[in-house]
Parts: sequence; structure tokens; C-alpha cells
Amino acid sequence: MNKVGIVSFGSYVPRYRIKVEEIAKVWDEDPIELKTQLQINSKSVPGPDEDVATMAVESARNAISRWKGKEKDIGAIYVGSESHPYAVKPTATIVAAALDVEKNLTAADLEFACKAGTAGMQMCFGLVKSQMISLGLAIGADSSQGRPRDPLEYTAGAGSAAFLIGSDNIIAELEGTQSVTTDMPDFWRREGAVYPSHGVKFTGQPAYFKHTIDASKSLMEELGAQPSDYQHVIFHQPNAKFPQAVAKMLGFSKEQIELGLICKHMGNAYSASSILGFANVLNHANPGDRILLTSYGSGAGSDSFSFTVTEEINNIRPYKYDAQYYLNRSEYIEYGKYARFKGILR
Amino acid sequence: MEPPKIWREKRGKYLAMGVECLDCMTKQFPFTENCVKCGSENVNEYKLATTGKVLYFSTVTQTTEEMMGSTPYLIAIIELDDGIKITSQIVDCNLLEAKEGMNVRMVFRVLARNGSEGLIRYGYKFAPI
Repeated sequence: MNKVGIVSFGSYVPRYRIKVEEIAKVWDEDPIELKTQLQINSKSVPGPDEDVATMAVESARNAISRWKGKEKDIGAIYVGSESHPYAVKPTATIVAAALDVEKNLTAADLEFACKAGTAGMQMCFGLVKSQMISLGLAIGADSSQGRPRDPLEYTAGAGSAAFLIGSDNIIAELEGTQSVTTDMPDFWRREGAVYPSHGVKFTGQPAYFKHTIDASKSLMEELGAQPSDYQHVIFHQPNAKFPQAVAKMLGFSKEQIELGLICKHMGNAYSASSILGFANVLNHANPGDRILLTSYGSGAGSDSFSFTVTEEINNIRPYKYDAQYYLNRSEYIEYGKYARFKGILR
Repeated sequence: MEPPKIWREKRGKYLAMGVECLDCMTKQFPFTENCVKCGSENVNEYKLATTGKVLYFSTVTQTTEEMMGSTPYLIAIIELDDGIKITSQIVDCNLLEAKEGMNVRMVFRVLARNGSEGLIRYGYKFAPI
């Protein structure tokens, strides 16, 4: 069987941030208690002229800029998001045009709460491995919605991560992937509704933890791997507490989860959350490192992936506009400007 | 924002695709079917440089209805690394941070939204490096 894996990757996080204290001030809530619960200090906020299409394009352009291949070889583009700018009109076609890779390709928008990005990665791995295409582009991007005063308002951030998937010059080879999928009423947004609703504490144990643990364990069992075999592990990050707790439950150390835990200053970028952490790990990983990535999407499901980093990674690093660049740049805004940017004030 | 106009301008707005005359080698933007200097029809698409520096800038406070929600915003004349001068909005930059000579790079942004039900127009803007 031919090898398949990541051949390049790109990240994007908007410049603006709002602190937990600033939101708490508006609702007379205790920021210290909130920060203890969520272990998040601030979240990213898209500018007024940013949306999922613009962020997806920026991350994809970063993936292409650092890479020496031909983007015209892209045979599939999948954009996973729960905040596509149009209900009907694909984001993926806008991305194709902005990358100048129209028109002999397949493309689609995906939605599976916070795991639509990894669903696209799985589709690209399958298409490349079956030799239906030579190169695929999978993107997870979100401009997340949180109802004012809802606990989600403190964490719902924005960002995008893009992965070029192929079989030549692989930087992180796929060892295997496993998914767990069940019908789970933990988080939803009805057609036409502006903000999502959720089952509060129900989103934890039977939803996030159960699916993340089952998918990760199932994959490690299939591969005969142990947590100690991995240098890095990344989980979905609705806050910083959940991924750290699930890492501990599965037997991973703080050191293994550290590089991929990127939500403390940018919040939960939904479809981009776990894969932005993965992109940050790839910016620092060494050849031979093994990486476990497990996403979680409400509704619900988890996709788990095991990768081995190859020597090729040194050919696409360093790159200026990597995840760290976007995580480091920040302009803190007040709630009034945040409300304007998010369209709460019209 | 008529659909045909958005579709026609796509390569210019999304990719900053200009034109190069194959007879007199003049590069220009936006795309035209004839060279503006020698009139030749022997032209090719030319992709503008994606980095440059701000020559002049101004703050816009009064503008068209579809852009009023974005005011105040920065507009600049930018000299790209290939020598072509282009007018563009500057984003990810406070009004007080902007300065002449500032190095910028091309980014992909929403240019305008036709209300909450109409089309969204996308294209290039520039952000500080």
C-alpha cells in the first residue's frame, strides 16, 4: 500500500483578542472563578472583514507558500466549519479560486461541530491512498458563535488550519486513523438560529470525554501503541481544562500535551481547535517523533490519528507565518468593539 | 453588487492578477485586454507582487453605504516590490500605527457584504508585516 500523510500545513488566527475579565465585567461575573474553571485567559476575535472563507484562504496560502510542490495538483478541497459565511454557496469554491486552483477538482463544505476539519483530513487521506487524487487540501476554520452571557461567550474564538495531504515528500506519515460516532444531544444550532445551545454539564462526561477516550484508545489498540510511544498528543480544546483532564485519564503527561495546547490565549476555534494545536506541534516536532491527534465534534464524534514525523519536515521549516506568529500577535479590544466586530451591535 | 460583476472581477480581486504586455513589457493593474501604453492585444495575465510599502495613506470616515460599518478605516497607495502602485485598504493596523514607508503584505478579506442576504465580495487588502 502506498504511503500517505501531511505534506504541508498552514495556520491562521485573527489579530484581535478579548480577555475573560473584559467579558466578565459586562455581566458582573467573577473572572477569577471563570479563569479557574476554563483555564483560558483570552480568546481570538475576527476583524469585521474576516470570516471562515478569509481565514481558510490565509491558512491555505500559508500551507502552499512554505511548500515546494505544485498547487495545481490539488484534486480535492474540503472546508470543515460550523460558521460558513453562506448557508448555500460553498466556502471551498472561494478557497479554490483564491488559491488559483480552479477547476479540475472536487470540493465541498463539511459540518460536524468542532471536528469537521479532521473529517476533511480523513476524506483526503482516503482519496490519496486510493490514488483517486494525488493531493488534497483539508481545512478546518471557524468564526465561532457564543450567545452573550452564555459560558461559551468566554471561549468561542476563531482561527483556521490547513493541511495538504499527499503521498510524495510526506512530513508526517499517517500510521492509522479511527473514529467514534454516536448520536449525542450535547450541543446544537437549529437552522436560522444565530447562536448554538448546549447541554451544559452534559457536554463533558458522556460527550467530550467518552468519544475522545474511545477513539484514542481504539486507535492505539489497533496500532499496538502506548501513550508513552508518543512525543506529542493533541485533543480538542473547548477550554484548557478538558484536554488536560482527558490526557491524564489516557495516561499522557503534561509535557506530551504542552505544545499542542494553544487555547489559553485564543480560546476554542471549533473546527480549527485541535488541528491548530497539531500545526503548532508540527512547527516544533523532530523527525521520528510520533504524534497522536484526536478531535471531538459535538453531536457527536471523535477522529483519532497517529502520525510519524519524517526528515522532510526540515524542508518546510522555518516559516515566518506559522501558528506561533499568529498566537503571539495580539491586540486586546474592549467589549464594545468586540460587540461591533461580532455584529451584536448593528 | 451584481453577480456578473463579482464573477468577472474575481481574478483581479482574489489573486491581484494584472496584465503584462508581451510587446512593450509594461505591467499594469487592473487587467485590461489591451496594453494601456502601446495598445497591443498581445498581453498575458501577470500576478502582482504580494509585498510592498505604503507610500501615502489616509483615514476614511465618510464612504459608501455598504462600507460605512467599517469606518474609520485606512486607505493607502502602496508601491509593490515589482514597482506597481496599487490602492488598497490597510487592515490589522490601528489608525495610530499607520505610517508612510511601512512594509505590508497582501491578505484576503471581505471587501463588502450586500446586507445579510446578498452576496459577499472578497478580495485583497494589505496588512503590516
